[in-house]
Amino acid sequence: MNILRNYLITTYNVYTRRKLYTAINLACITLTLVVLMVITALLQNVFYPTGVEGKSDRFLQVWSLVLTGENTDQNSPLGFKTIDRYLRPMRSIESIAAMTFPAPVSVYHGQQVSELQMRYTDAPYWQILDFVVLDGRVLNAEDVAQGKFVAVLNQSSAIKFFANEKAVGQSLNVSGQQFQIIGVVEDVMHVNSFADIWMPLTTQPSSDYQNQIRGIFGALLLAKSAADIPAIQAEILTVAPHIVAEDPKRWQHAYLFADTKLDLFARALLEHRYIADSGAGTLLLIIAVMMLLFMLLPALNLINLNIGRIMERGIEIGVRKAFGASSNQLVLQLVIENVLLSLLGGALALLLAKAVLVWIGASGLIPYLQVNINFSVFAWGLALTIIFGLLSGVVPAWKMSRLAPVLALKGAI
Amino acid sequence: MFMHMFKPIWKRKSRNLMLSLELLLAFLIVFAVTAFAVRYYQLYHLPVGFAHANVWSVELEIPEDAAKELIGKELDNAKRAAVAQRFQDFSRALSAMPEVEGVAFADYLPYTRSRWSSEFYLPESKQAQLSNVMGVSDAFFPTLDMRILKGRWFDPRDDGTGYTAAVINSEFARQMFPNLDPLGQLISPNKPGENMAADNVEEAKDKMLRVVGVFEDFRNQGEYMSPVPFTFTRFDGDAKWLPNTILLKLKAGTPRIFEVKLNQQLKLIRSNWGYRVAPLSALRENMLSTDLIPLIVLAVIATFLLLMVAFGLFGVLWQNTTLRIPEIGLRRAVGASARWIYAQIIIEQLILTSLAITIGAVLLVQLPITGALGAQLNWTVFTLALMISMALLLLLSTMCALYPAWRASRMTPTAALRYA
Repeated sequence: MNILRNYLITTYNVYTRRKLYTAINLACITLTLVVLMVITALLQNVFYPTGVEGKSDRFLQVWSLVLTGENTDQNSPLGFKTIDRYLRPMRSIESIAAMTFPAPVSVYHGQQVSELQMRYTDAPYWQILDFVVLDGRVLNAEDVAQGKFVAVLNQSSAIKFFANEKAVGQSLNVSGQQFQIIGVVEDVMHVNSFADIWMPLTTQPSSDYQNQIRGIFGALLLAKSAADIPAIQAEILTVAPHIVAEDPKRWQHAYLFADTKLDLFARALLEHRYIADSGAGTLLLIIAVMMLLFMLLPALNLINLNIGRIMERGIEIGVRKAFGASSNQLVLQLVIENVLLSLLGGALALLLAKAVLVWIGASGLIPYLQVNINFSVFAWGLALTIIFGLLSGVVPAWKMSRLAPVLALKGAI
Repeated sequence: MFMHMFKPIWKRKSRNLMLSLELLLAFLIVFAVTAFAVRYYQLYHLPVGFAHANVWSVELEIPEDAAKELIGKELDNAKRAAVAQRFQDFSRALSAMPEVEGVAFADYLPYTRSRWSSEFYLPESKQAQLSNVMGVSDAFFPTLDMRILKGRWFDPRDDGTGYTAAVINSEFARQMFPNLDPLGQLISPNKPGENMAADNVEEAKDKMLRVVGVFEDFRNQGEYMSPVPFTFTRFDGDAKWLPNTILLKLKAGTPRIFEVKLNQQLKLIRSNWGYRVAPLSALRENMLSTDLIPLIVLAVIATFLLLMVAFGLFGVLWQNTTLRIPEIGLRRAVGASARWIYAQIIIEQLILTSLAITIGAVLLVQLPITGALGAQLNWTVFTLALMISMALLLLLSTMCALYPAWRASRMTPTAALRYA
């Protein structure tokens, strides 16, 4: 304990002796960590969100159907028939939701024309996703079954149209049809829940969707518990071969996969269209390698700074070596100095990253984005910090341990 | 004199190696961002080939049952007639509106990510040339205020010729007919000899394109799209499918609320079809801002990195001069002036930076030489980006060296020597 205290005292003395140097070092660490933490927070918000899509560990998405024939293949969203007839009877799921992907629609209100992002949904969609209802209610089974012309708005759009008036109960003209607003929900920027306005899928202009294998839908499959996820992923593989395309001569094989959010992106980016493995492992590896590459420059920067400092401390090192300090002890001293500085930088970066995220949210660069640095992002940040401290401390420490005491004392390095 | 400067750098080569490596990395990053920005600047100033002012778009969402009636592989006359009828319905009803000056049809919209491309062949050659294609009606060109370079736009004179009329951009003309006058030439969407069984010669002939004009360019994805070969084929009201996009030229100053009236008029024509109306200027704005996002993200990250490199460089130089105080004192004692010391430290830093830049430039020049990134990194972009990033990096390292150099030069020889 006492030894550790000595290390810490030395560290403190080193920091305060060269204030400018410490400040520069700290600024470099903080800047790098801010960038890394903001990126991690954004990635985490996509892959492992909290809030509206907080149940993400319990549901899987089926976003596309791949049909292949001789020499041709086709990748498209699901038709409603695929969801209703083939996916709904699956035994391993608790419930299933159908939704379309956000599409722009024109909304007319008084003299105002606005473009909103619209989704058609069914009722289970609102149970699988935990929207924050600010006023009124969300779509229920009755609205969908009867094809009522009702809509749910998000907060920004409600304010845009009705300012301070109560939006619920008013009506809006969406592409020429009147819809009554029954609820207002909080803005959200997650892959399945992003939209400005939601309507029952039964209000589509035509009822053709009921007979489509390919179409405009995506499905969300809710598992009874997170442990059932692999069972769903396995079951859907047995469902896909039974799908009969509208033109079975042309399209002989169908492929469907139930994906986690990470899988979704991996599958799209790596084009794993026909195989069950989405390439999520590869995607994570790519992200990790890119982050390491990004960290290369900051690490080199810190190494350069640290090497310089050791030379300056040649005399101190020489004296300590002459009095019998082992190389290990000296290395430990330097590594502790670095890790502590990195931790300090990490704490600062945490505050700054939070400020940057608030700024991104307020600037509207990404609409409706609300990213908080939660515990796991903090843990990631902490891990990054320590890796960073070690990375930038190892080379100088190794160099230092090689110094012969006589030379160090002479200052001839 | 140069060797004189070089010697102290060489003496500390292992330290300087790490420093050069850092400068090299920083240079590569700055180059990547500037090259990206320069290329975008270059593209932005190329002609897009059309005018978006006062043009509105209507995308048709045709329900399945109606589509079955209109779209299909078979060229039966009933379908052709149905398509021609729809085409006329829309044309007539929309032209009747007082705000509308022109009605044109197209396969897809400009200022969207859409891209249709197809391989084309000369009648006797098996060499394929890839070109973007778009089927449009005759009114498309005046609606978008496009200009022809050679020949003419297609018009009713092309009715009943047995070929589909086409106009191509100068890039495609250059690739397809390097030594020929493109006007009047035939191009085929099929490989010669294939799909030409005796019984469907008629159909094959029907698919042949006849070039009637050459225009400069049409960059459908907007200002930041790289120029590519482009072909317009004629939609003459007698085609196999109904283009699902309508472009309307409106009177200048038509307000946005006209959309309500337009929507009503469209619903009168076909009530169960879906319509998505948007002014091209809105699509353009949207497209330009999404195109800029990657550049902005990269630039922000690069700025952070550069800021950090600047901090680091400053710290290192500051320490370096501190360490070299005995040397500097000695130099002062044997007659070097303060100004000379100042210059020496800055020049040393510039030599080191130039070294890193040279290595970086040698690595980077491989890209345009091998053509790895094609037209995206052409020589103009490369040279300009290289100059800018060199200047930026030299500026950065000079700025970082100013204060440490001044501090070192200010020291009197006695103080400097005692410091040791």
